[in-house]
Amino acid sequence: MKKYLSLVKLLFIQQYRVKPQQGKRKKGGTIAAYIILGVCFLPLLVGLFSSMYFLGSFSKGAENVENIATMLIFLCQGVVLMFGIQTLITNVFSTKDADKLLFLPMRSATVFSAKLTVVYLNEVITTAVMIIATLLPFGIGLSAGPAYFILLILALVLIPMLPMFVGSIVAIPLSALISKVGKNGAVKTFLQILLFAIIMVIYLFAMYELGFIGASDDATDIDNAQMLLEKLSSMGRYAKYIHSDFTLASAMLGVTFGTVAVNLLITLAENALLFGLVLLMALPFYHKMLTLSVEGGSSGRKRKKSGTADLQVKKRGVLKELIITDIKRVVRESQMGFQCILSLIILPLMLGLFAFAFSMSKVDGGNILDLFRTEPLYQVIAPVAFLAYMSLLGMTSNVLGIFPISRENKSIYIIKSLPLDFNKYLLAKVILSTSAMVLSDTVTCILAVVLLGIEWYYGILMLVTMALLCFGAMCITTLIDLKNPKLGWTNFNQSLKNASNSWLAMLVGAICMGAIAVIAAACIVGYVFTSGGWYMLMIMWILIIGLSVGFAAVCYKIMTGRARKHFENIEP
Amino acid sequence: MIKLTNVSKTYGKSQVKAVDNLSLEIKDGEIFGFLGPNGAGKSTTIKMITGILSPNEGVIEVDGINLADNPTLAKSYIGFVPDNHETYETLKGMEYLNFIGVMYGVEANLLKQRITEYAEMFQLTDALPNMIASYSHGMKQKLMVIAALIHEPKVWILDEPLTGLDPQSAYQLKQLMRKHADNGNTVFFSSHVIDVVEKVCDRIGIINHGKLVAVDTLDNIRADESVSLESLFLTITADGTPVGE
Repeated sequence: MKKYLSLVKLLFIQQYRVKPQQGKRKKGGTIAAYIILGVCFLPLLVGLFSSMYFLGSFSKGAENVENIATMLIFLCQGVVLMFGIQTLITNVFSTKDADKLLFLPMRSATVFSAKLTVVYLNEVITTAVMIIATLLPFGIGLSAGPAYFILLILALVLIPMLPMFVGSIVAIPLSALISKVGKNGAVKTFLQILLFAIIMVIYLFAMYELGFIGASDDATDIDNAQMLLEKLSSMGRYAKYIHSDFTLASAMLGVTFGTVAVNLLITLAENALLFGLVLLMALPFYHKMLTLSVEGGSSGRKRKKSGTADLQVKKRGVLKELIITDIKRVVRESQMGFQCILSLIILPLMLGLFAFAFSMSKVDGGNILDLFRTEPLYQVIAPVAFLAYMSLLGMTSNVLGIFPISRENKSIYIIKSLPLDFNKYLLAKVILSTSAMVLSDTVTCILAVVLLGIEWYYGILMLVTMALLCFGAMCITTLIDLKNPKLGWTNFNQSLKNASNSWLAMLVGAICMGAIAVIAAACIVGYVFTSGGWYMLMIMWILIIGLSVGFAAVCYKIMTGRARKHFENIEP
Repeated sequence: MIKLTNVSKTYGKSQVKAVDNLSLEIKDGEIFGFLGPNGAGKSTTIKMITGILSPNEGVIEVDGINLADNPTLAKSYIGFVPDNHETYETLKGMEYLNFIGVMYGVEANLLKQRITEYAEMFQLTDALPNMIASYSHGMKQKLMVIAALIHEPKVWILDEPLTGLDPQSAYQLKQLMRKHADNGNTVFFSSHVIDVVEKVCDRIGIINHGKLVAVDTLDNIRADESVSLESLFLTITADGTPVGE
């Protein structure tokens, strides 16, 4: 136990204590940025909070209110799974510090448990946010008893367990397979993304079965309170199958001490059982996985024999060489490749999910998507709405662009010692992250055209706007990372998790989204008032693209103007 | 030529100077050995000369070019072998050398010729198509040496270059250092191996607590020929009395 606790402490400190860079930090600007970010997201949080409150108040008379609570718990776990599974795979199963742990006198089960605990502790933070936004207002709306609110604290501890354990159960055999099959970093990256996709598909399928996706059978009757009540009662009809969530919900909503105590005990027992199962599975695999991760670096690889004829020299320009070298380094480093590529597929994945959810929601014999398409304003609003969504999510999730300097890690000294035009180096970073994002945006736009029926020319306009916005945003995120890079990590996830860069990137995305929304709202109102005057739409797109060009140019100028000072301050 | 004038460096908000008012000139055709105990300021000095760190005070010139005014040009004259082996592990050896060659603007045919020559000299030819992650400590060191030489630098800076090298490679490296200096270039290297410094260097400098406490030819530093450099080093770094030029 002492060894386990020491290791947890060490891993936790290692994750959050990164060597600060030299120079006085001006905190005022960062604090202001956080405040603006908070203001931007306040309406979203208030919206979620109030809808959960109303869900709670509507559920007062429902028969199986535990089902609804179970679904909310499951929803929280989905968010934990979405963020936590990346950490789980990179921290526990694609570990880089095996050589530092293998020689220590401790069992691999202890190492595994300690690593899992650190991931779990990180996810408690995510759970807290989700509980505040969902279960808390739901309970207030429901006028739940004091036990409900007291047990929310216990729920905070229990909710992240299921995603961690189920994620591990799926990940252990697959990761063991990956570590055996995937000696090549690029193959390993691909297999890890596949693993993530499998886990997410399983989760979405479960959500569908529970009724969260495509729940509405006849939404035209939704104004009927009785119908709504019946729907709420029937929602989560398979909820009891996620038994530990169901018993936790039953405990929280229990009216007698006996119901609360029994359900709580069952929840704890089931989670303990799952943990036991995870440990049992980890025992035979984990030590082997740790060993293979060390072998993969040195002796595990077959060495090619080569003559001097094989020493091919490539003729490339500096910019091209910088970009190509960066791509190779990202893709071949499985942890980094996984995070970077995953962040690029999230955007089209979410759009695909939207389309799936819309098409599954039945209305008057058709689906919501068909209903939307028949609306005359659909082709006017939908492209800008998706553009705003793409700018927020795309810029927030692009790991390649948010951590371009941090991913250099200790080898940043190489760049600092080279006779390299510094602006060229930064431009290479921005071009790479923008190109990757444009690739993701292209797929998203194609999906928007094909699945959501948006006109193709709007798809092209969306793509052009996104490319420009992304270039500008990547200049800013590169500058932010340059100002205070997280160097010296042993696990790339260390530089990502709860990093201020991500929040500031989100702010850049939110500003872009806000600007698009303001222009679009003004022009669409004009369009309606002019009874469909096409020139209003033309003005809207000219303004959006014009603003994007200006944004890209200004951001590039800001980056090149301020970068040198920050670069010189980096002390490897 | 390397010239440092009143160079000082302090890390972060620390009050202690890692390098304190250091002035030094190393001429063309010279091998200069830089000695000092752990934490004396050797690596900080080297990092400042190579442009990795910026000094708080003072001027650094490489071949007459002020590093602060024209860093790109000054760096193009330097070849650097670092003491750590943190490099682009996921690149193949050949890819890394190609990258370095492009960064220094070495013409492709010349680059191939030099890579072939140095790889054969250090017996690294067979390993170049493999990932650097699969290299041993010594192989990485050899790769760093080759990377530092492929643009024929006027100033060659090596931080603890002999660590991890096998005897043949260490011998080859010492020969190369001599040859490089004899061709009119500057060689600046730090080492803990006093014997090597004694045999290879034309001049030595000893740094302690960030201050240069001795700089001269070995013969001038030790007045008595029977005194070994090792005992001299221990004496100087113990009392910090300035010796030499």
